[in-house]
Amino acid sequence: MDALRVLALRVDHADAARAALGKLPLVSGAPWQTKPDCCVNLALTYSGLQALGLPASSLSSFPEDFQQGPVPRADIVGDTGDSAPEHWTDNFAAADVHVLILIFAQTAELRDQQARTLAELWKGAMTQILVKDGDMLPGQVAHFGYRDGFSQPTIDGGLPNPVPDVLPKAPAGEFLLGYQSQFSQFTYPVPQPDSLGLNGSFLALRILEQDCAAFDQLLKDAPAKFGIDGEKLAAKMVGRWRNGVPLHASPDTDAPVLEIALEALNNYDYLDDLKGARCPIGSHMRRNNPRSSPIAGGVGTNHRIVRRGLPYGPPYDPANPNDGIGRGLLGLFIVVSLKDQFEFLMSEWVNGSIFAPGIGGTKDPILGDNSNNSGRFVIPVAGGKPIVVSGFGRLVQTRGAAYAFLPSLSAVKFIAGLAGTV
Amino acid sequence: MSSATSPSIPTTPPSNQTVQSPLTLVMQIKSPAAYQELNGLLQQIQGAPVDKNPIWLALNQLRNVHFARFVFLNNNTQLAVITTYDGTFEAYINEFIDAIGDVFNALLERMSDAPPLPVQKNRDAFLAYVKANDLRAIEPFYSAYPAATVLDIQTALAPA
Repeated sequence: MDALRVLALRVDHADAARAALGKLPLVSGAPWQTKPDCCVNLALTYSGLQALGLPASSLSSFPEDFQQGPVPRADIVGDTGDSAPEHWTDNFAAADVHVLILIFAQTAELRDQQARTLAELWKGAMTQILVKDGDMLPGQVAHFGYRDGFSQPTIDGGLPNPVPDVLPKAPAGEFLLGYQSQFSQFTYPVPQPDSLGLNGSFLALRILEQDCAAFDQLLKDAPAKFGIDGEKLAAKMVGRWRNGVPLHASPDTDAPVLEIALEALNNYDYLDDLKGARCPIGSHMRRNNPRSSPIAGGVGTNHRIVRRGLPYGPPYDPANPNDGIGRGLLGLFIVVSLKDQFEFLMSEWVNGSIFAPGIGGTKDPILGDNSNNSGRFVIPVAGGKPIVVSGFGRLVQTRGAAYAFLPSLSAVKFIAGLAGTV
Repeated sequence: MSSATSPSIPTTPPSNQTVQSPLTLVMQIKSPAAYQELNGLLQQIQGAPVDKNPIWLALNQLRNVHFARFVFLNNNTQLAVITTYDGTFEAYINEFIDAIGDVFNALLERMSDAPPLPVQKNRDAFLAYVKANDLRAIEPFYSAYPAATVLDIQTALAPA
């Protein structure tokens, strides 16, 4: 789907709001026969569950990370300095953001149409307080010019993965509440009652502003400053070329003689590249999905996330680099545990420097908190000295965030059927 | 030959902290009979060849523990687990439990202050128990190589 809208709603009248939620045309997990024009998803913040009148026994059964929300936990994920919550311009973490409506649509027109229809449903019950749109850019790329979204976990019992990887399937309980998780003999506690919590997931919504001008400048300066071609540096930082060809398969060119099929773009591991001569150990992709690489904790598949989202803001124009317009990724990250998946990934793999060999004193060059030009990135070179790229700044700033619960369809019915208590 | 592709071991830590941390976990043994059982169990585990020793296998898998030893203290009324590991214990608690949870179940069954077992099903309680009973160290914690992790060292030592 090429168009996304995230609406934040405030609950004004709990009874009417619950009834409205029950009428939403939400999409189910069933496979599509034909691709629909639109899909609507619902997510609820902790203050939203309160505002909807859930009983205290139910509220307290939700995990602490979700209850707290992203603001007090900002340090964990590197939302500090200019990315700290006090500077967020898209304030999805505000206390009156109760309900998030996610509209995925095939076109912007269909999205607008769907949004108008939906607004009638909650009129008088809830008030829209924020809106953020994401739209696929020309060429099907994200703002740094990369095709995105190839790497998604394959979930046991879920739909087939169009771009499969070689890793073991994720158990259902790595993404859904109520099933055996990725950890031994462990199922994440289901928020109570079961009719509310079972088959739910959690969502980290992230508004991630990308500094295209700084990225562009870093690449332009690369030959003179660091002795590496700009486009090659870009590929090394990300872990693949802009067209999606992974460095693992093609370390020297984005156009290998033997073309790589779409379904093969994710089908590799790093076990034959332990030192990162092809794909640097510190690159964005390898940090965020180390696959079977040797890492602290030993297992690279315990912290997987499902990624959804689209770019926001107009395409970057290199001829007008400092246009003052915000652009970036409207990111949706889906997990069974915000703490053990999303936050672990941000603290240990993106902003940490001890989980893998040879990355001491460095962070993810793309997504890491490289504030105050503290960026440092090591590119191992086969048969030569590593290239060290340093002195670059933070390329992605957080402009807003929310933690939300993604209820199952039966949980939405449960909420809609709650007797008025507020 | 020197492995030119090796990521180099950083020579200075990011701050005056070490990347390694000390764990000094002291557990209270239930009774003299429990001590006898624990002693027998640990002798049996540690007497096994390394490819059969569940502690050895687990720590090899975790790749963030430099050293680990078990010591009976205070006239065999306490058992200490003393390790040097990378980063924070909390971050890797799930992997730790998955790798070595069964050994801890067997040890904790014989402790008077044990958290609910098995640890695999009571993860938060196990983490709280370790935090409460970890004496850590009187700072500073000395390291001859303050910035090097287990993975850095293993990679540097691996044949090119």
